[in-house]
Amino acid sequence: MSARGPARRPFVRSMEGWWRKNPYFIEYMVHEGTALFVAAYALILLISITCLARGEAAWNQWLAVLTNPLCIFVHVLLLVGFLYHTWTWFNIMPRTLPPIIMNGARVTAATITRTGLAAALIASLIIFIIAASLAS
Amino acid sequence: MNTGNKVITIEVLRYRPEQDTAPVAQEYIVPFTDDMSVLQGLQYIKDELDGTLSFRWSCRMAICGSCGMMIDSVPKLACQTFLRDFYPNTVRVEALAHFPIERDLVIVMDDFMEKLDSIKPYIIPEKPRALSEGEYLQTPAERDLYEQFSSCINCLLCYAACPQYGLNSNFIGPGAMALLHRYNLDNRDSGKEQRMPLVHAEEGVFNCTAVGYCSEVCPKKVDPANAVNINKTESASDYFLRFVTPKGACK
Amino acid sequence: MESFKADVAIIGAGGAGLRAAIAVAESDPALKIALISKVYPMRSHTVAAEGGAAGVVLSHDSLEHHFHDTVAGGDWLCEQDVVDYFVAHCAEEMVQMEHWGCPWSRKPDGHINVRPFGGMKIERTWFAADKTGFHMLHTLFQTSLQYPSIKRFDEHFCVDLLVEDARVQGAVTIGIASGEFTFIEARSVIIATGGAGRVFRENTNGGIVTGDGMALAYRHGVPLRDMEFVQYHPTCMPGTGLLFTEACRGEGGFLLNKDGYRYLQDYGLGPAQPKPVNKAMELGPRDRLSQAFWHEQQKGRTIEGPHGPVVHLDLRHLGEKYLRERLPQIYELAEQFLGVDPAQTPIPVRPAVHYTMGGILVDGNCASPLAGLYAAGECSSVGIHGANRLGSNSLSELCVFGKVAGEEAAKFAKAAAPGNSEVLRKQAEATQQRATHLVQNSKGGERISVLRREMAQTMEQGCGIYRMGDEMQRTCDKLAELRQRFVHINVQDKSRVFNTDWLLAIELGYQLEVAQAMAVSALNRRESRGAHQRLDGFTERDDANYLKHTLVTYSGADTPVVSYGPVKITHSQPAVRAYGAAGEKADADRAALDEKAAATGGRSA
Repeated sequence: MSARGPARRPFVRSMEGWWRKNPYFIEYMVHEGTALFVAAYALILLISITCLARGEAAWNQWLAVLTNPLCIFVHVLLLVGFLYHTWTWFNIMPRTLPPIIMNGARVTAATITRTGLAAALIASLIIFIIAASLAS
Repeated sequence: MNTGNKVITIEVLRYRPEQDTAPVAQEYIVPFTDDMSVLQGLQYIKDELDGTLSFRWSCRMAICGSCGMMIDSVPKLACQTFLRDFYPNTVRVEALAHFPIERDLVIVMDDFMEKLDSIKPYIIPEKPRALSEGEYLQTPAERDLYEQFSSCINCLLCYAACPQYGLNSNFIGPGAMALLHRYNLDNRDSGKEQRMPLVHAEEGVFNCTAVGYCSEVCPKKVDPANAVNINKTESASDYFLRFVTPKGACK
Repeated sequence: MESFKADVAIIGAGGAGLRAAIAVAESDPALKIALISKVYPMRSHTVAAEGGAAGVVLSHDSLEHHFHDTVAGGDWLCEQDVVDYFVAHCAEEMVQMEHWGCPWSRKPDGHINVRPFGGMKIERTWFAADKTGFHMLHTLFQTSLQYPSIKRFDEHFCVDLLVEDARVQGAVTIGIASGEFTFIEARSVIIATGGAGRVFRENTNGGIVTGDGMALAYRHGVPLRDMEFVQYHPTCMPGTGLLFTEACRGEGGFLLNKDGYRYLQDYGLGPAQPKPVNKAMELGPRDRLSQAFWHEQQKGRTIEGPHGPVVHLDLRHLGEKYLRERLPQIYELAEQFLGVDPAQTPIPVRPAVHYTMGGILVDGNCASPLAGLYAAGECSSVGIHGANRLGSNSLSELCVFGKVAGEEAAKFAKAAAPGNSEVLRKQAEATQQRATHLVQNSKGGERISVLRREMAQTMEQGCGIYRMGDEMQRTCDKLAELRQRFVHINVQDKSRVFNTDWLLAIELGYQLEVAQAMAVSALNRRESRGAHQRLDGFTERDDANYLKHTLVTYSGADTPVVSYGPVKITHSQPAVRAYGAAGEKADADRAALDEKAAATGGRSA
């Protein structure tokens, strides 16, 4: 009380390692991280198209690489990353949309997420069926 | 509900600027009953154990927004968080994250007050309306559009949940954006054009990376992340629309 | 010491303070306003008001109905000319709130909706779900941000008024964050600090509701009026005292005793109907409902809970969907704090202290006897509540009289001669000395929390729903003792930054004086009226001797001095307060009398 001069000295806490402090943030970082998986697969697709354009030899060579067990393992990893990204992406989707009114009531967040996931599943199935029929 | 002589340990991150160089943890042993909130635990400490502990509180019913704090690292209102949910473990209590600590559990919130001021959180009518003209008409559906965003109690839990605000406090942040959006959505208001520069600005909505935790912790289901992200769409469409409309949607 | 020169200083930034600030700013943008609050404005306790705000709008309603409900509800201890002004300006202020953005609940056609409320003959309660106070406070606060002439002193705790030349000329505050004092010079001052419910144990009030402004005015010789009238709200959470709004009953909730019986029909409020009937049963006035609880308790018909006896507030028949829409906050409160789903289980409730009807003596212009000092809201006694306030009149009061106080204080400030800054500064420095002395020299052994608890206990014992002379005397004695012990209070915290221990000590000083004013007023009113009910031979209203206002005047460390003032009666003579079927009959008789009087050309009594 007696000491003069300003006594206030607000303490600013460090943000270091912030994302490790809360499970929600860890999940968020993993979600963001899986975007790299999406980018990686886009790169693989790009290489495929380039090989295709360069002729049969290049394509066959690329096919050999793709069927390598290590490469298949990488694809499985990418698929898991994709699934996680899809799941979390549709979970956050309701937060990004303006209210959707149907039959006089707001569509709930859970419905939006479920619809999104269902759409992703159906699209994947269609592509899979087309790919399978082309392959056979 | 009285369950006898249970005690719980409350660990408080203390900071007294006149004697501490950095925050230190201090433990208190508090007798409690199952209907006691964390706030009541802190009040017990203040009354019976240590009069020097400082924290903000008032209404005790989750509407005044005073008692936001980190409880086991999660932003919560102390008045509606119950000790029974932590027993027999220790409850760790700390000032709201991402704000400077004034003292103990009290944060410096000047920054939010300035942001609130900046968003023009009041009706800007198209033209003045006399009282004799009566109320504006607003259907329940029109009211419903903004009602959720008007429920913000300024408790700042959303800011403590937003790492982007923690990393860069220039970001306008979830709470202020929710209120900005609330006025933009109100059919009595015509001030959107004056508020949108804040949305577009460097400190505006694009600082948000859609973590979504702000909406998760909101005690009033305001969903500030929704307000921020809808405004990203608005801002983006505004950016592109200015190439096709003669005036541009907004400056 | 920092200083600030204002034209109008406003202490308290809840509903009334903010409305006053806007009124000053609108009446003359050149006037500088210091808006002082010990919390950030949006934390003020207006935020907790749930039900709504009264204002006549329906075509079958009238100002006369609102007037009569208010005056009869107040057991004829109202200033009738002020009530006239009040009811005539409520709706206009509610429309003003609407223009400022208040999200009033609406009818399908877009017009505002009104709901029934206790003691009100016709639906006239404007509401924003069950968060009306919250929405009004935030609307007022956010609206106030557009006026550059309002300089806010957030988290500034007012320690004294500055009075010089027999008029108030400013205030001294502690900046809570810094512990530094500010000397605020002003030509007029408005007190809008709210009530004093925290002097009681079980109450609905926030921690900040400590009667600061009442004590500030009182210490400078302004009488406190009708302080014995303290409202018990009948439906509160056992233990914490948290409020379940009257709107629960307005929407159709029942009050049941342990036999599941709607006991209010035994207390002149019946007959029981399945749907809510205005001014009957659960929609009777608060004093009657709280008193009925007490009687049920005496008869052993309440339910024993962990925090004492309770009755049940039954909302089950309204269904979850309706409850979520109309009473969302109540739903959450019951779920979170009690673990009760109100759509499935009745809510245990009991009465708790809610509102102080009395306060700083002011006239219809909100002016106190001390020149330049105005008051509005719960801290004031402008004369509309009498012996019992009707639900939804207080939120309207904030607006109607906040505005009046602002305009009148602005007028006064413009006409007032400038003060002598040097003399005032010296006074402010003396105040600072006194306030810091409390911390520095507090080596006494008395603990803040102990004194506060003893105060609350004795107030509950002596000044509860029903009162006895000897118990009130004991409470008066106890409060006198506590005031003596307060001299030896020990402030444990010696620091400057956000020292809440220090503020709690100052607040306790305020509370003890306000509590004493209440107890002394109660002891001296030898009748039963409204919220002041005695069991010791003064069980009836006594208009011959007590149709008058109690005035309590501060006299330092001694027992305050009690005197009485006249009640302004314009056209409603005291009659029997009747509710339920009896009330309807009384209304019909009154209407017949009015007609007869109109036919003979005279004004009815």
